[in-house]
Amino acid sequence: MSLDMTEDRGSAWVRQARKPSPDHSLVPPCQAACPLHMDIREYVDLLAQGRTMEALHVIREGNPFPAICAYVCTHPCEDACRRGEVDKPVAIRALKRFAVDFGGDRVTRVEARTDQDDKIAVVGSGPAGLACAYYLRKLGYPVTVFEAHSQLGGMMRVGIPQYRLPRDVLDTEVHRLTQMGVEIRTSTRVVSLDLLCEMGYKAVFVTIGAHQSLRMGIEGEESPGVIDGATFLREVNLGLQPSLGESVAVVGGGNVAIDAARTAVRLAAKRVTVLYRRTRAEMPASPVEVQQAEEEGVNFEFLVAPTAVKRRNGLISVTSVRMELGEPDASGRRRPVPISGSEFQREYDALIAAIGQSPQTPEDFGLRVGKGSTIQVDPLTLTTNRAGVFAGGDAVTGPATVTEALATGRLAASRIDDYLHHRYPAVVSEGRDSPLGALLPETIEVIKKMSRSEPPTLPADARTKDFAQLELVYDWEVATNEARRCLRCGMGAEILFQDKCATCLTCVRVCPYHVPYVDASGTIQIPADQCQACGICVAECPARAIVLRKPHDRRHISEELDHVLRSAAETRSKPTIVGFCCQYGLYGTGALAGFWRGAKAGVWIVPVLCVAKVEPDHILRAFEAGAEGVFIAGCGEHCSRENTAQWVQQRVEKVRSTLEQIGLEPDRLQAFVSGDGNTDLVGELDRFSDRIGTLYLTSMILQEVGS
Amino acid sequence: MIVAQEKPLEEIRRIIEPYAQVLILGCGTCMTVCGAGGEREVSYLHNALRVAEARSGNGTHAFSEYTVKRQCDTEFLDTLVDRVADVDAILSLGCGIGVQALAERFADLPVLPGVNTSFMGMAKEQGVWDERCAACGDCRLAETAGICPITRCTKGILNGPCAGTKNGKCEANKDMDCAWVLIYQRLERLGQLERMRRYYPPRNFRTIARPKRIVSKARIDAGEDNA
Amino acid sequence: MPDSSFEERLQSDKFLVTTEVGPPKGADVSEMVHHVDLLKDRVDAINVTDNQSSVMRYPSLGGCLYVKERGGEPIFQVTCRDRNRLALQADLLMAHSRGINNVLCLTGDCVDVGDHKEAKPVFDLDSVQLLNVLKTLESGVDMGGNELKGAPRFCAGASVHPEADIIEPQLIKFDKKVAAGAQFFQTQGIFDLASLRRFMQYASRLDVKILAGIIVMASARMARYMNANVPGIMVPQEIIDELATAEKGKGLQKGIEIAARFIQAIHEEDLCHGVHIMAVGNEGIVPEILERAGLVGVSP
Repeated sequence: MSLDMTEDRGSAWVRQARKPSPDHSLVPPCQAACPLHMDIREYVDLLAQGRTMEALHVIREGNPFPAICAYVCTHPCEDACRRGEVDKPVAIRALKRFAVDFGGDRVTRVEARTDQDDKIAVVGSGPAGLACAYYLRKLGYPVTVFEAHSQLGGMMRVGIPQYRLPRDVLDTEVHRLTQMGVEIRTSTRVVSLDLLCEMGYKAVFVTIGAHQSLRMGIEGEESPGVIDGATFLREVNLGLQPSLGESVAVVGGGNVAIDAARTAVRLAAKRVTVLYRRTRAEMPASPVEVQQAEEEGVNFEFLVAPTAVKRRNGLISVTSVRMELGEPDASGRRRPVPISGSEFQREYDALIAAIGQSPQTPEDFGLRVGKGSTIQVDPLTLTTNRAGVFAGGDAVTGPATVTEALATGRLAASRIDDYLHHRYPAVVSEGRDSPLGALLPETIEVIKKMSRSEPPTLPADARTKDFAQLELVYDWEVATNEARRCLRCGMGAEILFQDKCATCLTCVRVCPYHVPYVDASGTIQIPADQCQACGICVAECPARAIVLRKPHDRRHISEELDHVLRSAAETRSKPTIVGFCCQYGLYGTGALAGFWRGAKAGVWIVPVLCVAKVEPDHILRAFEAGAEGVFIAGCGEHCSRENTAQWVQQRVEKVRSTLEQIGLEPDRLQAFVSGDGNTDLVGELDRFSDRIGTLYLTSMILQEVGS
Repeated sequence: MIVAQEKPLEEIRRIIEPYAQVLILGCGTCMTVCGAGGEREVSYLHNALRVAEARSGNGTHAFSEYTVKRQCDTEFLDTLVDRVADVDAILSLGCGIGVQALAERFADLPVLPGVNTSFMGMAKEQGVWDERCAACGDCRLAETAGICPITRCTKGILNGPCAGTKNGKCEANKDMDCAWVLIYQRLERLGQLERMRRYYPPRNFRTIARPKRIVSKARIDAGEDNA
Repeated sequence: MPDSSFEERLQSDKFLVTTEVGPPKGADVSEMVHHVDLLKDRVDAINVTDNQSSVMRYPSLGGCLYVKERGGEPIFQVTCRDRNRLALQADLLMAHSRGINNVLCLTGDCVDVGDHKEAKPVFDLDSVQLLNVLKTLESGVDMGGNELKGAPRFCAGASVHPEADIIEPQLIKFDKKVAAGAQFFQTQGIFDLASLRRFMQYASRLDVKILAGIIVMASARMARYMNANVPGIMVPQEIIDELATAEKGKGLQKGIEIAARFIQAIHEEDLCHGVHIMAVGNEGIVPEILERAGLVGVSP
């Protein structure tokens, strides 16, 4: 904290040519990266506070099927997470899974009323179709979902293996549509859009997915024993048990290939080999999945491409050629080039070709299709060449993620609503907001490192026997500790009252992250993209010109305090002791839970979002309202910041000296810290409340004697 | 910047004792910067007084609080007319200038000092302020390498260190640098030691004869008198 | 022509011995007078301290009058802490009028170390300026340039700190004091002959007399106390250790031994022009020190 003015450091801040981003409208990178634009920062923070149900509420606001995403989302948010610049990204998907499992999502009911006349048909019940139906119902439209298969879910049902997405989870989510009053027509393949129009549907959303596997285009591809990946997964997911034999080859490097390989393992294939024409680095499949496949015994052969297949003596004889990587192609990946004369043969019981899928749009739909048989739409409005017909999902984009499909479905619902109300499609800003910039190296340096916790998974040998879900959920403490790793990007301090700012430089001097600085005009700037929202400058600013963004601002503490003081006044249990305790430590990590549970009657807790935000004024107000003792309990080593205790101690000392001048014993105010080898917090609190009790009794007796 | 220190609470309680309704008035300039009388301290003092009242069991005072941009200019004080309408006294957390400006502006109202105005200085680090200027009216920093012997030497002597310096520290306070050692070191660094070898005659204390007044040259030229 | 017997001796090659008496806290001067009587014929001059260590006492000038009265040679210590230029000049005029012409010009300790910490420190002048004031008065005018009716004459002295840990600025100030007319210097306490030797190497080129200050320590505890509380004094650890070897109640004896040893060494080595013995409250032991140092008979 010392700032020796004789060093050049102070003026270095002034000179620093850094571009400030005081703009608090910038969204956190996780939110900007999310196709659904979910308020991730908000729900992760609620989880860190142990407010799981509220977190789930926030999640539900932004996602119609959070339970599904909690299992299968590819979490682009984590790739964007700025915690990753410090150590590793926050495990956002696993936290969502925790919220869904612990927040009571299964009992969440979604209601919808019908107050629109125009009927809408959704063709296809994949994530895009279901999301569209969900949001259209919320808007009050009568909606019918047509599904060719016997069950809803599209690729979530027939593509994704059960060990990744348990079917009860899918069923629960899908069932909500029925609750909402969506008309479901399963085992119904729509062959003509004209017919739907005749049936009175005023708008149609075509979201038929991409279920048609691409052909390898090699000799013998039609041989028995050769099956395509999508068909294979569909059969397994619909309850068939295709017999594969002992040795299985899977061709391809995407998620479907990995799903097929791991499904084959679970169907008791002894040897499963994935053949991929590039290297591991180029594989489109998720690295975690690849790693898990390896754990389960799947072999990988890289730089290998089959050139011919022949069925011989009940076996599949595969001729392959070895490849090498040449120049980068259009996708930026290096193009595999066959090495001449490197052909070799292997024999397998079965071969699964999983090199990609495309949509298969019935010609009778009369929709214009483009490259890869995808339906052509206006990307902004999702309109096709036919009036009233909208399209989205894999049928338009080719194979993509569930979350992207959900986002498209939501967009489609609002576009259809616009269309039916003859509204010019409003430009939605979502996803287009600029994310906060990267952290500066000097900021990263001073952010406390906290290791990421992964949710537990079943051991490899236990999970290959059946299709049981392999990822388990966090337990409470691990989840909240993981959530506390969130940097709460952009929730930080801003100088709200520039007219009050006396440019005293207190914020510049007290910031543990060296974020505030003096710009060339002599004005203090607190860049929103660097501030870590510790609140120390807010509590120290002598002009009270700085505020933190809600809910971390000082009003939060004042309101909680008022509430507690009112309750204490009502119960009249004496003596009253008010404790400012870290909400994260109290309800989140539970580090302080035993502490307050062990507290005696008359002890009232004001939960605060880090005790560094407790100001001397808050403490005095508790005394004014009649508290006989006040304590502050912080998380010590569990705190996501350094030196919190030091600031608390400094303020405690200040108030103590005031108490002394008022004639109150200074030890009526005490600061406690959990962790740091302190195991007897409850005992300390006991001794503190005993001491306050004694002081109270003494003062009562003195009063009696006096009167 | 002017630096001040809060007065002890007992003293404040004593001086406000006769007044039922007291406005605690902060200053948004120097007193905010030095942390003695900005909006935060105003609020803190307000709360502390209320605790004291509540605890004494016979609280008879009512308080209000406000922080004005700058107390030492009457134009800013004009905005306070409504706020002081019902008060019996103003407890100013401004410097001594602010207190007097208030007293001049509100002729019928007692104005009480809530801080002890201490010196003109600068922050050494967060929460630590050092005196740097005594307003002697005869600046000789050109001779002393920009280090003021009047304020930073406890004796304010002009011809070099006394014999009380130990480890480069002052005899009056072992934590305080000896100004003359600093001056010597800096003059040496600047190659100007001859300035220290010069004899400096006794100070002209007429420059601090009080009260002081400065009238701008322009006004003198315009024929304004000095009254 | 010298203005005092002390000035006369300064101009001789004699090894000079001065000492000091501290005036009492109170109006009873009997002990001080006793010490003056004891010392007046054994040393070349007796300093009378001026509210030493900022502790309020019987005045220096009053003490000097007693020395003069009893037939001794006083050195009037004058600090700038307690009087402004009017009072200082007035006291100097009085001193001269009563035959007190030896003046030791000092800046003075800060009031914080004394027993009146709330006092206003004056420091209207510093020691160099005070030396110049002596010259000004001698020239027949006061500091305001007004003519005096009768000009005084003085033998000006000053102090110097050869053991200061940062010596260069002290030497600059020493030069300024010499230029301002100091004829003799009584140094701060010397505890290390090497530093005195180094200082004399520097000072011997100037036409001034240097009297090495010798502080007589009464115990190790006193040495440590002085290190912590008395401005400018740094008693080295080996001397504290040596004092600590003394039996209980024999600390002063050890201090006398040490002081005598130093004086003897300075004298034999002819390091400087004399010594100034500061017995700090134990003035009665000065004769014994002189005896032990082999200086009996050297002085008058």
